[in-house]
Amino acid sequence: MSKRALSILLLACRAVAFGVGGSIIATNAFAGVRHFTFLYEAPTSPPGSVEMENALTWGRTTNPERSDQIDFRHEFEFGVTDKFQASVYVADWSYSRDAKHDRFTYSDTAVELIYNLTNPIVDPVGLSIYQEYKAGRRFFEWESKLIAHKNLGRWILAYNGTLEAVWQGEGLNEREGELQQALGASYEISPRCSVGLEFLHEFIFPDWHDNERIRNVFVGPNVSYRRGSWFVTMTALAQATDTPDERDFQLRTIFGIGF
Amino acid sequence: MKELLITALLLTSCETSNYAPPVTPALTRPTSRTKQNVDLKRGRTLFVHRCIECHTLPAIWKYSDEDWSKIVNSMSHRASLKPAEREAVIAYILAVRKQE
Repeated sequence: MSKRALSILLLACRAVAFGVGGSIIATNAFAGVRHFTFLYEAPTSPPGSVEMENALTWGRTTNPERSDQIDFRHEFEFGVTDKFQASVYVADWSYSRDAKHDRFTYSDTAVELIYNLTNPIVDPVGLSIYQEYKAGRRFFEWESKLIAHKNLGRWILAYNGTLEAVWQGEGLNEREGELQQALGASYEISPRCSVGLEFLHEFIFPDWHDNERIRNVFVGPNVSYRRGSWFVTMTALAQATDTPDERDFQLRTIFGIGF
Repeated sequence: MKELLITALLLTSCETSNYAPPVTPALTRPTSRTKQNVDLKRGRTLFVHRCIECHTLPAIWKYSDEDWSKIVNSMSHRASLKPAEREAVIAYILAVRKQE
């Protein structure tokens, strides 16, 4: 992808983001609650709903050296039709610290689209397809996902299969692929509160080759609380493998509020 | 493996019918059956789409007719239900309860 095409995409994302900001003042509905933070659920937001989601992920890496990073995401989510929702990540940015450096970095701006195919209550499995485009300085990412979801009484079970392609660096010459499977289970202990587990299994392909055989597994609990037009969901994940330069521990919190 | 799959499918279909029974002729009144049928189907669709945005579906028998009207009214804003959609959801729930 040329630099010009990239900058046009970035501009388009930012224009949509500012448009979203303005339209929020005129709308007043709630999009929905996240029961997981590393997984998506199949139901899409009701048409006309608008929600702001802020995600904060703290990650610690200790192998080979200790470093900490906090990632921030500011997202606006719109219900477009009964089966289609669109989101804009206004900005993904981070603060990182290690023994030598201490810095803030802007990463990217993105557009996310989700289309619902089947319902988790009336169909054997609820399914949705997901597409995301991210663009930043010398960075472009394409992410496709299949979201499966089933409600069983007070249980919510979710599965996400994800394929990611990343182009970055000078001239976007560095390529990387990632295949990810994620499983989640959440139990509603009261209408306002749920607890559960999330499990991630990643296959990383630097330069789209599997020579290094990088496999990562993360697992950990989550908790979600909702009240009125807001919710907060938190997941703590620990790395069950021993991959260098991967986070050993990460804690993600998503706070969402409807307008 | 095959048995496990069949069991899982059976379990999921059981749950489905328990929490949002399909609209059958038995749910509708013999007079004005067609229109009512359409409304109840719309009510069911909204019930299974909008409510699970935030929480799992409670069993329909769990609350009284009066309670259901209050619950749906109080949550209709959050679920982005227009007045006619809210009425369709309530009508569906009450029709199911009547049959039970």
